[in-house]
Amino acid sequence: MKQIIAFVSFLLMFVLVTPVNAGGKGELQKHFNNVANKVKATENATEKREILNDSFQDMSKALDKLQSTGMISAEDQVGIDGLKAALKENQDELAGINGYERVPDSQLNSFSNYVVQNMEQADSTVTISVVALVLIILLAVLLF
Amino acid sequence: MNKQLNFGMLKSCAKFGKDIIFTRFYIRVFYLVTILFLSSCSHDIVLQHESQHNSGSVFETKYSMIFVIHGDGDYLYHDTSDNEYIADEEALLNAKKVAMQNPNAEVFIFHQKPRNHFLFFFPLRDGEFYYYRNGQLLENELYWRDQEKSNLDFEVAAYHRFRKVTPNKLINIFLYFGHEVPEFGGAGYDESYSDRTFNIDDLTNGLKGFISDSSKFDLTILSTCFGGTPYTIRKLGSLSRIIIASPANLHLSYFDLKPLQQLDLNIKDGDIISFAKYFAQQSFNKLSSNVQTEVSVVVYDVEKIQPFLKSVYGDYDSTLISLKDMTYAILATIEHCDCADIPTYQLSTINNGVDVFYRPARFGRSKNKLNHSGWECWKY
Repeated sequence: MKQIIAFVSFLLMFVLVTPVNAGGKGELQKHFNNVANKVKATENATEKREILNDSFQDMSKALDKLQSTGMISAEDQVGIDGLKAALKENQDELAGINGYERVPDSQLNSFSNYVVQNMEQADSTVTISVVALVLIILLAVLLF
Repeated sequence: MNKQLNFGMLKSCAKFGKDIIFTRFYIRVFYLVTILFLSSCSHDIVLQHESQHNSGSVFETKYSMIFVIHGDGDYLYHDTSDNEYIADEEALLNAKKVAMQNPNAEVFIFHQKPRNHFLFFFPLRDGEFYYYRNGQLLENELYWRDQEKSNLDFEVAAYHRFRKVTPNKLINIFLYFGHEVPEFGGAGYDESYSDRTFNIDDLTNGLKGFISDSSKFDLTILSTCFGGTPYTIRKLGSLSRIIIASPANLHLSYFDLKPLQQLDLNIKDGDIISFAKYFAQQSFNKLSSNVQTEVSVVVYDVEKIQPFLKSVYGDYDSTLISLKDMTYAILATIEHCDCADIPTYQLSTINNGVDVFYRPARFGRSKNKLNHSGWECWKY
């Protein structure tokens, strides 16, 4: 039995190639995509707003926590600042403050898609390192 | 006792036999895996013999297309139905469809992939090349991308190795898919090679290798974010007659390649500018129906945009020089904007030679912006 286990392990090591691409950026996008799915699955507009608002707040808190740990590089700090600013803009628009018109109830599903797509093409997420992104996800998902 | 002895001997013989069978099995599997390993590291995956490249075909080759698809970065996106896509894989799939559905074309596809390792230690080739002619895949090779400065060395060499030499003038189309190609610097463009730089100068230096001194690409399609800046278009314009690019954000590699699938039907009488407008319109329609973010697709007629470019390139280059000296932290706070929002660029020639297909983002600060000049600048 040991022989077989050893052999299978050897075989797996031989054929497996480490997937580099499955980094934290994808996970961050999946996180926002899951939020959008929850919004779309909910009928009630007030609940949709709550889901979106909570996700922005939780993510912002996770980013603050990460920045306060001092574990991340100066470049990541800049990237995280950019991400926080984008989240703040989304939050303001959802609530209709700081010069924004409030997102109408009928457009909340589209708005959740916009948040995902904006995040997917955002410069800030492109410049945040994979390690920092993984930490963000861990904090956002585990702490809140 | 004899019985017991015989049974014991029988048992040990059976175990011995079983061991031999297992050992042979392991050896065979080991050989198989070794062969697979060696073939995965082999230089060429040659599909057809060289002589077949030059064999006569019933189809006349009229078009030459070069796709460079950058896949060494974060290219994940979702559609509104929650389907997940890797943008470079989608671009590759569509490029192959284009190649197979154009019997009058030769198509070079270069897929630049992330660095991967076999058994954690042995680096694997980080590029894959496909060569199609008359709708047939003739060559498929794994290759090493440039290890330091990226000047498309392998890509240019492969192009000259396989391209069809013909007395007829081919319609040459170059397509690049990837993230925004930086106007300066460019370290970290490849996610898995943080020290390697790639910027618009590197891209244009590489492109020079594909064309002879007197010729230009008939059409260049830059499927990236922020491609329509005066510097990028000026650089690419020195090598191309018509350019299609997105001045603002472009949702990951989302240009619609369907118009390229039947070039014989869509390019009428060699009219590239009409085809470019048709291509841009199709891409704009697809993007507008699929994304909530800003959509901008612009066709640049390189000859007609020269007066505007000559008027602004001094100012624009000065801006780039200032930006180059900035720290990363400051640079990250400077945004792009429509050049028409900056007084220096508000010239009567700004609209010459550009066909702009624009729709603002459905949400955000600029959702009420109605028009775009087709030129993107730095808000500095």
